[in-house]
Parts: sequence; C-alpha cells; structure tokens
Amino acid sequence: MAPMTYDAIVVGSGISGGWAAKELTEHGLKTIVLEAGRPIDPAVDYVEHVRPWEKRYRGMRNRKQLERYQPVQRHTGACDEYASKFFVNDLDNPYSTPDGKPFYWIRGRQVGGRSIMWGRCVYRWSDLDFEANAREGVGVDWPLRYKDLAPWWSYVEKFVGIQGRKEGLAHLPDGEFMPPWELNAAEARGREILLQKFGGERLITNARLAVITENHLGRQKCHLCGTCYRGCITLSYFSSINATLPAARKTGNLTLRPFSVVHSVIYDPQTRKATGVRVVDGNTKEMFDVNAKVVFLCASALESTRILLNSATAEFPNGLGNTSGELGHNLMDHIMDGGAVGTLPFARDKREVGRRPDAIYVPRFRNVKTKQKDFLRGYGFEGRAFRQGWERGSEMSGFGAQFKRSLIGDLGPWQMDFGGFGEMLPRHENHIEIDRNLVDAWGIPALRINCAYSENEKKMQEDMVVTAVEMLEAMGATDIKPYKEDNPPGLVIHETGTARMGRDPKTSVLNGHNQVWDVPNVFVTDGACMASTANQNPSITYMALTARAVSYAVGQMKRREL
Amino acid sequence: MRRREVVQFLGAALALPFIPRRAETAIKLGEALHRRLADVPFRTLNREQQALVTNIAEMIIPETDTPGATSVRVPEFIDLILTEWASEDERAPFLAGLADIDKRAATLGASGFVDLPAAKKTELLTALDGARDDKTGAGLAFARLKALTVYGYFTSKVVDQDILKTEMFFNGYQGNVPFTPAV
Repeated sequence: MAPMTYDAIVVGSGISGGWAAKELTEHGLKTIVLEAGRPIDPAVDYVEHVRPWEKRYRGMRNRKQLERYQPVQRHTGACDEYASKFFVNDLDNPYSTPDGKPFYWIRGRQVGGRSIMWGRCVYRWSDLDFEANAREGVGVDWPLRYKDLAPWWSYVEKFVGIQGRKEGLAHLPDGEFMPPWELNAAEARGREILLQKFGGERLITNARLAVITENHLGRQKCHLCGTCYRGCITLSYFSSINATLPAARKTGNLTLRPFSVVHSVIYDPQTRKATGVRVVDGNTKEMFDVNAKVVFLCASALESTRILLNSATAEFPNGLGNTSGELGHNLMDHIMDGGAVGTLPFARDKREVGRRPDAIYVPRFRNVKTKQKDFLRGYGFEGRAFRQGWERGSEMSGFGAQFKRSLIGDLGPWQMDFGGFGEMLPRHENHIEIDRNLVDAWGIPALRINCAYSENEKKMQEDMVVTAVEMLEAMGATDIKPYKEDNPPGLVIHETGTARMGRDPKTSVLNGHNQVWDVPNVFVTDGACMASTANQNPSITYMALTARAVSYAVGQMKRREL
Repeated sequence: MRRREVVQFLGAALALPFIPRRAETAIKLGEALHRRLADVPFRTLNREQQALVTNIAEMIIPETDTPGATSVRVPEFIDLILTEWASEDERAPFLAGLADIDKRAATLGASGFVDLPAAKKTELLTALDGARDDKTGAGLAFARLKALTVYGYFTSKVVDQDILKTEMFFNGYQGNVPFTPAV
C-alpha cells in the first residue's frame, strides 16, 4: 500500500501523545496519531461506578486470569477486577530481565494510554531539581532551568485544570490552581501540629491533582466517586480521552489510527532526516509506512527508545540517534513503599462526605536546607487521613449483633498514612537493549531491561520510614505501623530516561527542545527524555515539555529549518 | 499512587499436613438451612462444612433488624472464593482449620460445632477470635471466615445499596461534618 502522508506523526496517544496531537493540530498541521492499542469509548469502557456486587469476585480481582495473562501487570493495584482491561496482556508484550534483577514494566496500550489509569498528581520542579546533576556531578546537566519551563507549565496547567493550594515554597513552586478541596478534619489538625513541631519544614498540604473542582472547558467538576483510575464519565480528571484528543479533533486536522503498532522510524541518509515510520497493523499484522515532515515519539519512555533502537541503520548501527552511545541508558523510576500508618487520637466526632481520589502531600524536606549524610536528593509523601468504616471488621475483635451494629453505624478512628516517593539517580548501567531472541505478538524485537535500585535509593527508603514515624508520633498517633517493601523498580510506573536531554550531542540523545541531535525532525517528548527524575510525579512535566517542543518544531518548520 | 494489594484475606498461610475430612455423619440442621442448601450448588464445602461455615458466618453477622450473613448469601460467596480464587496452599489450611473447629467442639462434648448449645458456641468463637493471629488450625480458619464474612456481607448488593446507601455523586467535598456513631 502507498504510504499515507501527513504533516506530522505522533506515536502514542497517552499523556504526551495527546498533548503533541493537540498542539500540532492547533498549529494547523495535518497530524496522524498512531496508537498501538484499541479505541476507548467512555460510555462503554469507563467503569468507575461499577459496584463490587457486579463483579464475580466482588473486586478481589480475578487472580487466576491475572496470573495467566498479566503476571507482570498484576503487581500494580489498579490492575484489578474493574480496570485490568486497561493494562496490557503480558503474553503479547514480552520483555526480558537478567536473573535476579526483575523490573516491573506496567503498560497501557489503548487510545489514551496510561492517562486513563494515572495517579493524577501534578507537581512542578524547581532549580533545586534542574541543577542537581550539575551540582553533584551525576549524569549530565539539564539543558533547562525553571524559567525555561515555567511558562509551559502554566500553559498546560490552565488547560488541564488542577486543584491545589498555594504554599509559596521555593522548591515546590505553585502552579495555576483551581480552588482545592478542604483538608479533612484530621488532616487539618495534623497540618497544624506539624507546623508547630517542625516549624514549617514538614508540611501537610493538599495533593495537587489534575482533577477539576469547577466546570472547565466543557468538562464537569469532579463528583467525588473516588475511583478515577477506572475512567470518568463526567471527564473531570485530565486524560487524553477526556481533554487533549477531543481538542485535537475539533481542529479538523486529526487522524487517529488505533491498532497501529510502530515498528521503527524510517531514516533517509541523503537528507539525514526521518521520512516517517514503519507500522504493523495490530489486527492484520500487515506492515505499512506513514510519511511526514516531523515525527513525535510519545510512546512512553521505554517504547519510544525501543522504536529508536529498532530503527538502526548502517550509519546508526546501535540505534537511530545514538551517536552518543547513551540511547537506552540511564533508566530511572522513583522509589516508594517506605512509610508508616498510625491511629490518630483526634477528630472522632467528624466525618467526610465525598471520596477524594487523593488527599495530602508532604513536600520534600531532605537536602533542601540541610544536607543528609547518607543520601543525595529527597522524597515527598503522599497520604491521607481516613476512617476505615466496615473494612476494619476483619481486624476488629468481636462478633455478633453489637459487632455488626458497630460496623454499620461507626467508622472507626482516623488513621493517617504517609507513603514516600523518592528520587532515583540516573546511572549508566541501568539500561535497556534489544533482546535478539524475543519478539512481541507483532513480530517486533522486544526489550531486555537491566535495572536495579542503588544504595542511595535504599538509604532514602529507610529514611522515609523514620520520618513518617516521627510525623505520626508528633501527631500523638498510636498503633504506628512502619512499612518498607523491597519491590523491584518499575512498579512506581514513573519509568523515565533512556534518551536523555543534554547540552552536548556527545553525551546526550536529545537537545534542549527534545529534538534528536542526530535526526532533527524526530522529537521525543515522553519520559524517555529525562536527564534526572526529581521526586515529583512526572506527567505534568512531560506535558509542558511536549507543548514546548511542538512550539519549537513548528517555528523551525515555518522557517524551513526542518 | 498507592498500589498495595488491597484485599489479601487468604494470604499465604503455612502449609498444613493434610487432615482428612471427618466421615460423613448425620448432623442436625435447621429446616431452613436444609431447604437453602438443597438448591445451591456448593463446590468446595461439603454439607458438613457448609453447615459449619453458615453457622459461624451468621454468628459473626447475625440477622437483626437488618439482614444477616446467610440471607445475603455469604456462605455461597465463601465457597466461590475457596473454589475459584484461593490457591491450594490457602484452601487446604482453611479446610483443615474448619475440621479443627469441629475437633474443638468435640472436646466440649458435641459431635461438631453446629451441635453445640448456643452458649458454648459463643464461648468457642470468643476463644477463636483471640487466636486470629494463629498460622494454622481453628484460629486461622476463624480469621479467614471472619474476614470473608465481613467482606462478603458489606459488598453484597443489599447491604451496599439499602443499608450503606453508597452514593456515587457528591456536590463537592466536605471533610469536617459532625458525626455521632449510631451503635
């Protein structure tokens, strides 16, 4: 079949791809979005209001099916009896890891990608984060500083719609916020106590979430059902399906092609540019080409790099755009599963009405003003104060009529949970490569992932437990249960790096505008581009980088530099 | 994102040597129970075990002015979980623990738990409630039964809709609403 021709190709329709599509089409470019997975129809596919009694195992997951078809995906809690359909079939999507070095690669292949199930936490970085690599001699320096990205964060935040509370912290800059939900009675009391005991250094603030509290651009305000990861029929949280793809469609310039598995980028050695991409039809497995002036890889960090590695040519034998030798290297995730939960002594006479999807955040306080001896960088806590209601019944003593009345009529004491999310350092040896002996269901060579946490992350995780317990003790909590789990990287689902941005083509894959140094009409704007990962949840940064990169690419195209 | 396994009621328990089920013995069952058991296929629990599980589930959450565990079919839910969801490593110790409960009843002079007088049943369950951390035996079985009974009861349609009256649409969030327990 003759190649289809467009102005621009976007590979992937998740958080980054949705933004690339919106921005490119709004700039007037005829754009095709190639999505490997199936289409999603909110009216049919969203399941946020399905109750446990509508499911065979009442929401306890279809364990046997998960073990058989999703042995990797099942490690994430969102891959449950309601939402497992939004995660890939691991049998169709294999990858390998060395013995004893597992990596949990959690993926969503459908229109909207993982923007359907994402955690919706959105935090800006500061120069404490951008300058860290240079200051400490780790990895390479970011080619960006806060001032470069701040206007783009503002730009995307205004469209996304974010509920958050301004705190004026230099190291966690405020953004464009809608009015936040109030803290619940226990969280508000906890905030007061921590302000007193830690002088503002450890702060309970509202989680900053891409969930709208006011009607916004045709989307309805959140109705607080509490299970965003299964979809949202009122389009209240931000996703490609709920926001960016409809905006792109409105321009008349969007072609969205599901079931389009991109195999590689096609490189023309004469022009030293890409002519387009090679695609395998997800259903027929027929191969075809799509041509365009510019290609945006937004397939997710590891998938975008996999495409470049699978695009090797005589000139680029180790992967397209890999003159530096850094393509595939410096893979990062965050580290979590360090924290504590305890029972609070106050606010028994208060309850909440409505279920917030996320509640509170404790911004980073390590290595901000003082220096830690045993680790670099820092972490923040996500958390909430909650009352268990009937769910405490399995742990509670007693049985019989009084036990039953208590489960129905009382809610139990408030509990407070602090779970840390810490920065992982970029290290060259954490890398991905093509596994020559493994292909996916579409015949495309699969990845081998080599990744492990280092001592720095492990020390940080230990510190999370200590400081979480300290905060609970300060609040007078009882029955404090510290927790620390030794999960492999990947499970935070913040995998980043492998095609890092930098200032020097000898040591980085992308320049300061997410443009492949070696192939200037190819841009990589998803998590692959990251030179470090800070401790903040990453998606809003990918959005800002994508919008900024499109603006730059369009400018270059207008000046006929691409 | 917190991504812990939310529900792990039948988490890995220590493997127990296989304890054969007691020989079928005639047991006295209430008429209603007979009728109900007759038309519902249980696949893992035999008639004796059904009677035991039903009896204990109803004692954990009895019928009062609101439905009890039996009328919202908690025993059927437990059988489903044992049959399709639990692994053999989880199922076997649970069933062995059930047998253990009957053995404990036998030391109190009955042929099995269901035959104990009401006061003795309460006494035995109170003891087992204090042994929920046990890794094997009657304490383990009671802990699992209790967890599954609570979960099965509160996730049933009747309880979710008519008693808890779970709402899906809220006009804004309130985190500071006065509350007095109704117990």
